[in-house]
Amino acid sequence: MTAESMSMEEMERLMGLSLEEKIAHSKKIIKEAIDKFGVDNLALAWTGGKDSTTMTWLFRESCKELGVKMPMCMFIDEGYVFEEIWDIFNQLKKEWNLDARIAKNIDVASKAEKVGDMVKVSSLNERNRKEIALLEITDEEFPFEPESFIGNHLMKTIAMNMFLEENKITALATAIRWDEQEARVQETFFSPRKNPPHMRIQPILHFKERDIWDFIFQYKVPFCTLYNIGYRSLGAKGSTTKMSDIPAWEQDLENTYERAGRGQGKEEIMSKLRDLGYM
Amino acid sequence: MFNIFKKKAAKQNKVIVLGIDGVPCSLLKRFIDSGIMPNLAKMIAGGTLSPMTASIPEVSSTSWSTFMTGVNPGRHGIYGFTEVQKDTYKWKFPNADDMKSATLWDVAGRNGKRSVVLNVPSTYPARELNGVLTSGFVSLDLKKATYPESAYEYLKSIGYKMDVDTQKARESSAALAENIKTTFDIRKKAILHFLNEDDWDLFIGVVTETDRLHHYLWAALDDEGHAIHTFFLNFYRDLDALIGEMNKKAGDETPFIILSDHGFTTIKKEIYLNSWLKERGYLKFTKENPDSFETIHQESMVFALDPARFYIHSKGKYSRGSVDAGEYEGLRKKLKNELLSLEVDGEKVIKEVLFKEEVYSGALLADAPDLVALPHKGFDLKSAINKTEISGMGHFTGGHTRDDATFFINRKIDVSDINIVDVGPTIISLLGIDEKSFDGRCLV
Repeated sequence: MTAESMSMEEMERLMGLSLEEKIAHSKKIIKEAIDKFGVDNLALAWTGGKDSTTMTWLFRESCKELGVKMPMCMFIDEGYVFEEIWDIFNQLKKEWNLDARIAKNIDVASKAEKVGDMVKVSSLNERNRKEIALLEITDEEFPFEPESFIGNHLMKTIAMNMFLEENKITALATAIRWDEQEARVQETFFSPRKNPPHMRIQPILHFKERDIWDFIFQYKVPFCTLYNIGYRSLGAKGSTTKMSDIPAWEQDLENTYERAGRGQGKEEIMSKLRDLGYM
Repeated sequence: MFNIFKKKAAKQNKVIVLGIDGVPCSLLKRFIDSGIMPNLAKMIAGGTLSPMTASIPEVSSTSWSTFMTGVNPGRHGIYGFTEVQKDTYKWKFPNADDMKSATLWDVAGRNGKRSVVLNVPSTYPARELNGVLTSGFVSLDLKKATYPESAYEYLKSIGYKMDVDTQKARESSAALAENIKTTFDIRKKAILHFLNEDDWDLFIGVVTETDRLHHYLWAALDDEGHAIHTFFLNFYRDLDALIGEMNKKAGDETPFIILSDHGFTTIKKEIYLNSWLKERGYLKFTKENPDSFETIHQESMVFALDPARFYIHSKGKYSRGSVDAGEYEGLRKKLKNELLSLEVDGEKVIKEVLFKEEVYSGALLADAPDLVALPHKGFDLKSAINKTEISGMGHFTGGHTRDDATFFINRKIDVSDINIVDVGPTIISLLGIDEKSFDGRCLV
């Protein structure tokens, strides 16, 4: 249960398992987490995307097997969510009877009517002003959009932190995967976080993009229609693009980049440049 | 060429290069004097440490491209991190595929020599070479960044990190500092591995953690009460230890060059040039808060790209361009004069404005900015398009300088006015290769 990073050999072994073995390993991690943290203070970060929906399904199965109730799901509404994402959110919430709660920085969102509007820092509540001060940023206003450093931070990270605090969450399950991007190679199934203090449970690290699609079709798991028209990975509206016009699962998953429509392309370059004060 | 004796003789000409991104020469001198860099202190007794002038503009992509080609941007084509597409006005981010000149390792490879090239900015995606390359900023994917496959496998096995995770700055200065340290440690491991295990003729390793440290935590340098102050000094002690280990490998025989791509200084004010252009009526958008030039108004006459590259919105060049060829010269002169008189808080901001033909030459001159501005010390020229004010303070305390970049070689040389364009030709000459096509000169 420690956060020590594992050897490359162990990672490769896990990534090389069959789909059934991978599912079994994920359930083992999930049951371990429920055993340790219980279900009342555990939450699932569910975005409506293919990975976190897969994780949610695995949680449902594990809870059924253990005879415990399903933990709550946290959906972050960063203010620029695709309509198609809301569709799958509402569909699955109903079909799977999920306790899905929305994490949203209402204070910030209420100050902007639409994406691109400028939000004055002085108009925000104390918590948000404090978070901005912590960043050592002295801007008097910022644009309400996914590409904005402050806006993004307040609408995503801070919205999530507030949700964790308000719901006294001690463990949060997220659906990140090792093969998604290089930076994630260091991640482990259990990874303690400091601010706010909680444990990250990452039960599907060893799933590859291809496994996710194999799983979805094998178990007939509903998914967002954006994948049908070429999106491979879903981020914020306005900063996520299509990779191709063919369905995600028919694309050359092994030799192209899943996050090219958001992470691996211009957005990632822009964010790296912005982090160094360019643009 | 493939005569065995010739190859043997050539093998003896080796060169080691360490790049230290964003390190001012004056800072190294200060750390030498205060005992923080004892290895470098010993090395300058038999070597030469000199300030160097960076490229125009003084940003990593342009400066390192000028270093790695030995030619000016008019020939290699990298004028900055950002470009605007002339037909759609969408952002374009030049990478290695946009570099139009041969690199030092291309030249070395043509002459039967093997190069190891680690973390040089603007080399992504990796192209094939005689040797090993893993690219630096802006690299997105380690596999695409690395040639050959075996080098990728090695880097993956040590958990190599391409860059500091600057997102950590959102957590805290301490979290960022910790990430700078772990990234540097793994960088050092990779550098020493290839330095000691590979049979190279030309070795180039670049450390970029210095630049990240300066960008975010420059204020910690002189503020003894700053939480990161001790970390800052210790980081330079670690850097000095790496320099010491590389110097051991070089010995007295192998030339060892250390260089940086620009200097650093404390920012007094950030200056937002596009806001200034908007205020004077030179630039208009059709949208209130533009996030790219896609919404540029066709009446716009000029726009700026980071850090201070001005482009005339010419008819025929841009799809919505409106400036006639006959107006071009008058507009440039007028703009130059107005920029030179720009004042913020009663201080002049711009030291010099240069027309493109005064700075650049070569086949790609047409792509060059029509004017470039050079600031007085302490003013950080920027071309953000979403700002409304002309000056302000961002969350960075340090910014680039064109002078006070670093050049060191473990030889006594007597030259002045060193420019970064001179480093490449010097390296090629030290490798024993006769190549005449450079813009720079050999310093030894």
